[in-house]
This record gives sequence, C-alpha cells and structure tokens, in this order.
Amino acid sequence: MSTTKFVPQFSARLLLWAILAIVLINGLFPVIWIFLTSLKTEVELAATPITWLPENASLANYQQAFSQQPLLLFLGNSLAIALLSALLALVISIGAAYAFARLALPKAGLLLVGLIALAMCPPATLQVPLFEMMRALGLLNTWLALILPNAVLSLPVCILVLVAFFKSLPESLEQAAMLDGCSRLGALWRIVLPLSLPGVITAGTLAFVNAWDEFLFALVLNAAPENRTLPVGILFYQGEFTFPWPLISAALIVGIVPLVVLIALSQQRLVGNLTAGGMKG
Amino acid sequence: MISARLVNSNSLRRSDRWLGLALVTPAVILLLSLVAYPLGRIFYDSFFSLRLTDQAPGIFIGFENYLYALEDRDVRSAFFVTLALTLITVPGALVLGLLLALAGNINFRWRWPIRLALLLPWVLPMSFTGMIFAWFFHSDYGVVNDLLRRFGYQPVAFLLSPGWAFFTVAVAVTWKTSSFVALILLPGLQTIPQSLYEAADLEGASRWQRFRHITLPLLMPAIVVALIFRTLSAVQTFDIPYAMTQGGPGQATQTLAMLVNTVSMEYLDIGYGSSLAVLLFLMSLIISLPYLKHLRRSV
Repeated sequence: MSTTKFVPQFSARLLLWAILAIVLINGLFPVIWIFLTSLKTEVELAATPITWLPENASLANYQQAFSQQPLLLFLGNSLAIALLSALLALVISIGAAYAFARLALPKAGLLLVGLIALAMCPPATLQVPLFEMMRALGLLNTWLALILPNAVLSLPVCILVLVAFFKSLPESLEQAAMLDGCSRLGALWRIVLPLSLPGVITAGTLAFVNAWDEFLFALVLNAAPENRTLPVGILFYQGEFTFPWPLISAALIVGIVPLVVLIALSQQRLVGNLTAGGMKG
Repeated sequence: MISARLVNSNSLRRSDRWLGLALVTPAVILLLSLVAYPLGRIFYDSFFSLRLTDQAPGIFIGFENYLYALEDRDVRSAFFVTLALTLITVPGALVLGLLLALAGNINFRWRWPIRLALLLPWVLPMSFTGMIFAWFFHSDYGVVNDLLRRFGYQPVAFLLSPGWAFFTVAVAVTWKTSSFVALILLPGLQTIPQSLYEAADLEGASRWQRFRHITLPLLMPAIVVALIFRTLSAVQTFDIPYAMTQGGPGQATQTLAMLVNTVSMEYLDIGYGSSLAVLLFLMSLIISLPYLKHLRRSV
C-alpha cells in the first residue's frame, strides 16, 4: 500500500524538479553562458572543442572592456536617460491617469483609446520625422532627443497601469480629505499617490525598462560618442572583421547587472502588476 | 442650505473638469507632437520624390513611391521576412510562454529563482539578446555547434546560410518574447478559482481535460491580449536581427522596419522611405484595431 502511494508521489516530484530545471535553464542559461565567456581569454575561446567552464577565469576582459570603450560613460548615459525618461513619463501619466480615473473628461474613452493607438505605432516609422524635428530644435545628439520619445512611447502603458490602480481606491478617501480642506491636487499627492505606490513603481519600472532597451532612436537620433547608450555603445567593440567576444561578453554582463538589481528590488510587485494594462513585447 | 450645497458641488465639478483637462494636456501635446505629427509627416512625404542626396526640393509624384514599392524586390523580401517571422515567432512565443506561465504557477518553495528566470529575458534588451544568440550560434565557437559535435552531428554555419540565419533569428525572437507572454498569462492563471479544479477532480477529469476545459477557456482573455501585443512587436522587429545579422546574409533577415531604416538613413531616400514607413504603420494599425476596439468597450 505504502509503496504504490510512494511511486506516483516520487514521479510527480521528479516531474516538478524537471520542470523547475527547464524553466531555470531556459531563462538563465544564455546570460550564464555570456558570463562564462566573459571570464575566458581570447586564446581559450579560439580552442576547439570549446571549453564550457573557463580554465583560467580572470576579470581581465572587464578591465579591457572598460578601457577600450568608455563603458562607464555608456552605462551612466543609459542609467540617466532611462531614469529621466521614466520620471518624465511618470509625472505626466500620473496627472493624466488621475484625470481619466476621477475627473469628468469629455469623451474620455475616445481620448484614451486615441492616445494608446498613437503609442502603438512602430518606432521605425517615426525615425525620419523625429530626426528632422530634433535637428530643427537643436536637440540632436543630446540626452533630451532620446528622453522625449522614450517617455512619450511609455506614456500610454503607464497611464493604463495607473488608471487601474486609481480606480481600485475608494473615492470616499479623497472626498474626506477634501472636506477637511484639501484641494484635489493635494488629495492626489497626499492620499491617492501613497496608496497606489505599487502601481507607481510598476509603471515606473515599465518605463525604465522600455528606455533601457531602446535601440533604434539611440542609433538614429544620437551620433555623439559622449552621449551613447549601452545598447548602441556595445556595437563599437567590433571592428570591421573582428568580433572580440570576450570583451563584448564582459560589456553585456556590465549592462545586465543593473537589470538583475532592478528585478531583485521589484520582482514581487512586478509579476503581479505587469498586466494591469498590457505592455510592450 | 441644500441649494447652497448643490451650487457648491456644481462649481466643484466644473473646476474638476478644468483640472482634468489641464492634467491630460501635457500627455496629449507630447503624443501629438512626437507621434501624430511625425505620422502625418511620413504620409505627406510619401507622395514626394525627396532625396537628401539631390539637395533639391521634393517633387510631388502622387502614388509613384507606392507603385514602385509593389515592384521592389527588397520590399518583397523584407515583407516576407517580417511576415514569416510573425507567423513563426508569435505562435512559438505563445506556446513557450504558456508553458513557462504554467511552470511559474506551480507552488515551489523558492519562488525567486523562477521569477528571475521569467523576468530576466523580459528585461534583457533586444539588442543584447541578438548578440547573445549570435554568439550561441557562432559557426566555430558557439555552444550550439559544440552540442551538435558532441552528439555526433556536423556543425552548421548558422549565420552564414540564409535559411539557417532566419531560423536563428526566429529562435532568438521567440526566446526573448516568450517571457513577456508568460508575464501576461501568469496573473490570469492565478485568478482561476481553485474550486473549479477541485470539482473537476471529483468528476475524475484527467490533467489534460482540466487544462483543456478549465485553464484554457478562462485564460483566453489574457491570451488574446498577449497575442495582439506579441504580433504588434513581431511586425516591428528591428533590434534582434540588426544586432545579430545586420539583416544578412544578403537580405535573408532584413525586416520591413530595417528596410525603412536603410532606405531613409543610409540611402537618404526620404520620400520612398516614408512610403515604406506608411506601409509598416498600416500593418501595425490593422493588428492593433481589435485591441483598441476591446479597450474602447472596456473604458
């Protein structure tokens, strides 16, 4: 009796462990592989058959990655541009989302759908007009040329997430605050925002990740080496015929570490809240 | 007393309306100037012969750019690459993403490794993904060819043959986007009431029957949202093939978005590039319409 019961339980456990292993390998192996590559020397990489674990693991590639290209500058640019883009998107979408959730806007539904429709348009279609516009405004090759489109394309996602959060709060909270002499904006700032902090964090993370990933605008709207972001900057390690994979791997890992930190900080919130209003693939 | 209160709430409402408009205006202005105006601009420019290399003002040529696009081999190739990528990677990412979501929904004791494995591909920049997979599929030193050799197969020059290059790009896109699908589906799975499964167990339903008759139908709304966003991003594919193959070999992995970039920014043929951008925009608009309709009904 006890053995027949043990067999299905054991196989069920085995299946669980197998699933766990597959999910972990699928999600983490590519990054782990790049990390292992970043520890190998160029000589070891050129050996066949290839080695899986580095024979003489060293951080020399990291040192060289930082000296051959201004990697720290790329990292700083990416961080600053992504943070400022997220901040701008948040400030603007908090106001707009509150208006959609609480204040009687004329044709609110149509307006919201119109804003979302605009933001769903492929960035590749906007590159030439944006290039000309930024040149006319004298913004070409500046942070602002990247921050503005990044923030704007994240607006609708942020608005959707925040509208969902604002609507889930009871309206009586603000009314009570306003009876006590608080203005609408005061109630938004003191009551609604603190209570919807998870939504604000989710929206901010979405906008940050969108901006951190952004590649096309960073390629087209910026030619200045001192303003290069990480995704574009990494392309500059390769020569015409050379592909220094150890250096590229080290640079990729440098770009991935902030993302792991971001996940560690917000994973619990993210997994639940991401869907509050669809997002980019 | 009552009337005074009514007046008061009326004027409050009016000030609310003004405040609402004021709060929405920045978002509207930014989207109009940075998206709507550029869209109008490409529509307008698409009717002109406009090359920055000529230094001459544009000449109105009506629909000639579009007629030329119909005959252009590059456009046809890019269109089919984009279409094939969409038709392969969208179902691929949906199936893989659903499996990941089902796995992520299992109650393991340590949830953070699973969360990390689900979130990391999602936050990984597309361009990084392209580079990582280019290294994976490297002819001589890639891990895929190493595995092939170990199992006794001939290594493949993945990125040098048109068919294999397209395949590897499709693999990279599927891998990268499946975690997005999983993240959309996971909360949907978590809202399915446990009591339904318990009832099914009492009826003696198999695992497959539970999945087929409970999980799948209740998950459908989330699947549709994932499907639309995933299709939209597939039509816009740019970063992964750009970082992985630069569209090569030949034009085997050049998507429509990449062609718009090449024609406009490298050949500086703004008129023709704009007409291709319009075609790309129309493709993505057609895909987003069902979602927009659904959204219109739900707000």
